[in-house]
Amino acid sequence: MFEFVVSHYNYWAYVGLMMIGFYAMMAKRNLIKKIIGMNIFQSAIILFYISTSVKKGGVTVPILEHAHGGHGAHHAVNIMQYANPLPHVLMLTAIVVMVATLGVAVAVCIMIYRRYNTLEEDEIIMSIKRG
Amino acid sequence: MIAQIPILIVVIPLISSLFCPLIGLWRRGLCYLWAIVALALCALASVNTLFAVIANGTIHYRLGGWAPPFGIEYVVDHLSAMMLVIVSVISLIVAVYSKRTVEQELPGRVVYFYTVFLLQVTGFLGIVITGDLFNLYVFLEIGSLAGYALIAIGEDGAPLATFRYIVMGTIGACFYLLGVGYIYISTGSLNMADVQQLLPQLYDSRVILTAIAFLLAGLAVKMALFPVHVWLPDAYTKAPSATSALIAPLMTKISLYVMIRVLFTVFKPHLSIELLPITDIMVWAGFVAILVGGIMALAQTDFKRMLCYVVVAEVGYIVGGVGLANTIAIKGAVLHILNDAVMTVGLFTVAGIIMYKTKSHNISDFHGLFKKMPFTMFAFVVGALSIIGVPPTCGFFSKWYLIQGAVIAEHWAFLIALLLSSLISVVLFFRVIEIGYVFQASHGGNAHATGHTATIDEAPLSMLIPTIAIALSIILIGVYNQAILSNIIAFAVPRL
Amino acid sequence: MKALSLITGIFVGAGLIYGTLDMPKWGDPHSAASTHVSAYYLHHSLEHTATPNVVTSVLADYRGYDTLGETTVIFTAGMACILLLRRRRSG
Repeated sequence: MFEFVVSHYNYWAYVGLMMIGFYAMMAKRNLIKKIIGMNIFQSAIILFYISTSVKKGGVTVPILEHAHGGHGAHHAVNIMQYANPLPHVLMLTAIVVMVATLGVAVAVCIMIYRRYNTLEEDEIIMSIKRG
Repeated sequence: MIAQIPILIVVIPLISSLFCPLIGLWRRGLCYLWAIVALALCALASVNTLFAVIANGTIHYRLGGWAPPFGIEYVVDHLSAMMLVIVSVISLIVAVYSKRTVEQELPGRVVYFYTVFLLQVTGFLGIVITGDLFNLYVFLEIGSLAGYALIAIGEDGAPLATFRYIVMGTIGACFYLLGVGYIYISTGSLNMADVQQLLPQLYDSRVILTAIAFLLAGLAVKMALFPVHVWLPDAYTKAPSATSALIAPLMTKISLYVMIRVLFTVFKPHLSIELLPITDIMVWAGFVAILVGGIMALAQTDFKRMLCYVVVAEVGYIVGGVGLANTIAIKGAVLHILNDAVMTVGLFTVAGIIMYKTKSHNISDFHGLFKKMPFTMFAFVVGALSIIGVPPTCGFFSKWYLIQGAVIAEHWAFLIALLLSSLISVVLFFRVIEIGYVFQASHGGNAHATGHTATIDEAPLSMLIPTIAIALSIILIGVYNQAILSNIIAFAVPRL
Repeated sequence: MKALSLITGIFVGAGLIYGTLDMPKWGDPHSAASTHVSAYYLHHSLEHTATPNVVTSVLADYRGYDTLGETTVIFTAGMACILLLRRRRSG
C-alpha cells in the first residue's frame, strides 16, 4: 500500500494541482483570476508529462557522453542512464502554446477593459443588461 | 512536386499568411487577392489529393523522411481527403465572399484579418491531414488561437463571448492533451497507426479507459455537444459575418472528424461498440442535443443565434449517427458532415449578406427581403429546405441514411428525435420566410428597418456569387450523393 | 456556480486519479514510455543527426514539424494580438 503511494504520488500531486487550476477557471468571477487558473491548469499538465521522463537509479540529462570527435557513434548507448527525452520535447511545444494562449487571453481582457472599464464578470453582465 | 502535395496543402496557406502583412504594408487592397490565390492553390491541391486517394488508396507522407513512429507522418485516407476538400473549398468560397463585409464591419483591420484567416485555415488543414496525435494538438491550438482573434473583433459583446470561448476551448484542448498523455504513458508512442497496434492488449487497463474518456470529453467541448455547447451561440452570433461563415461550418465538423479518428483509427471500433458503452452514450447525447438545439432555436429572435442552435442540433445528428454503430448510420453521419458544412456555410453567408445590407441580424428586420434580394433569398430557401430535409437537397439524403440506421439499430428515441427536428426546422424557417414575404414594413417598428428600406437591394456580386454557388452545390451534392457515397464514404467508414 | 465547479473539479480529478492507478511506477526504467520510441532516439541520435543533445535532435530533426507548428503558434498569437489591440488613429 505504502509502496503504491510512493510510486504514484507524483501523478496525484499534479492532478491535484490541475484541479486547483480547473476550479479557478470555472468558479472565479474575475477574468484575470480565470486566466491565472488556466495557467495553473496547463502548467500542471506540463509537469505531469515531465515527471514521467525520469528513471530510477540516478539518470542524467539526455545528452550523450563520449560524443565528440565523431567517434561517439561507435559507443553503445546505455539508455538506462539517460532520462527519457520525448516528454521534454513535447512539453517544450506545450509551454509555447500555453504562453501564446495566455497572450491572446490577456489581449481579449484588454479589449474588455477598454469597453467596460471593469474586469469582474458580474459587473460586465450588469453593464450589458443595462444597455 | 506531385509527391509533395500533402505537405503543400498545409504549407501554402502558412507561408501565404507570413507574407500577408508584408503585402499589406505595400498595398492594402492586395491582401484579399493574395488570400484568394493561396486558398485557390490549396483547394486545387486538395482536390488533386482526393482524386489520387480515390485512384490509389491511402497516401502516406513522411515529414523529414523519418519512418513512423519515430517521425511525424501525414496519412491521407478517404475520410481525410474528403475533409481536406471540404475545408479548403469552403475557405476559398468564404474568402471570395468576405471582401465587402470585411471592409464594412472591420475597417482598418483588413490586412491582419486576412493574415489570421489564412492561419485559421492552416490550423484546420493541419488537424485533418495528420497521423500523429501530438501534431494534431499543435494544429488544433493554431486553429483555436486564430479563431479567438477572428471572433473577438466582432460587434459589441464579442470580446466577452470570446473570453468564455477561450476558457472552454482551452479546457477542451487540455483534456485532449491529457488523453494523449495517458496513451503515451501506457504505449510509449504518439503515432496513430502505431498506437492502434499497441493498444489492444491494454484495453482492460484503467489508463486507457481514462484516456478515451478525456479525449472524447475534450473533443465534446470543441464540437459543442450539449451540455458543453454554451460557448457557441454567443461567440458565433457576435462574430463578424465573414468569421462566422468560415468558422461555424468548419470548427465543429473538424472536431467530429477527430472524434471519428479517435474512435475508429486510434482505438479499434470493437472497444467503443462492444467493450465499453461509449456508442450507447453517444446516441443518447445526440438525441438530447438534437432536441435541445431545436427547442432553443425556436425561442430565438436573432437570425444568427437561431442558426447557431441549428448547428448544435446538427452536431447531435452526427454524434448520434456514429453512436448507432451500424454501417449505414455511420455512412449517413459522415455524409452529414459534408452536407452540414455546406448547409451551414450557405445559411451563414445569407446572414452575412442581410447584415451587410440591413445592418441587422434580427428576424423582425427581415421585412420584404424576398422582393428586394430575390437571389439571396433563393439561396436561403435552398439552405432551409436542406436543413428540413427535402429532396433533392443534400440534407434529405443524409437524414434518410440516418433514419435507416436508427431503424436497423431499433433505436426508436433517436428516430423520433430525427423526425421531430425536421418538423421544428419547418416551423423555424417558415417563420423567417413569412416575415420575409411581408413587404409592408411596420413603420412604428424598428428604426433601422424604416431608415434602410429605401436602400436595400440585391447583394454585391462578390458576395452573391459565392452564396449562389453554395446553394447550387447543396442541390448537386444531393443529386450525386450516391456517387459520393460509393466512391469516398464507403471506404471511409470502418468495417463493422 | 462555485458549488457546481467544485463538484465538477472533484469528479474530473477523481477520474484522472482513477486512470493513474494502472500507470507504471514513477521512474520505472522498463515502462513503455521509456523503452519504445525514446530508446530508438537515444540509440540512434548520434549516427542520424550527429547531435549529442537528444532533446535537440528530436525537437529539430525527428519531430521538427512540431517545432514548425510551435513557431506558427507564436506567429498566430502575435498576429492575433495585433488584430485585437491595434487602435486606428481617429478618422
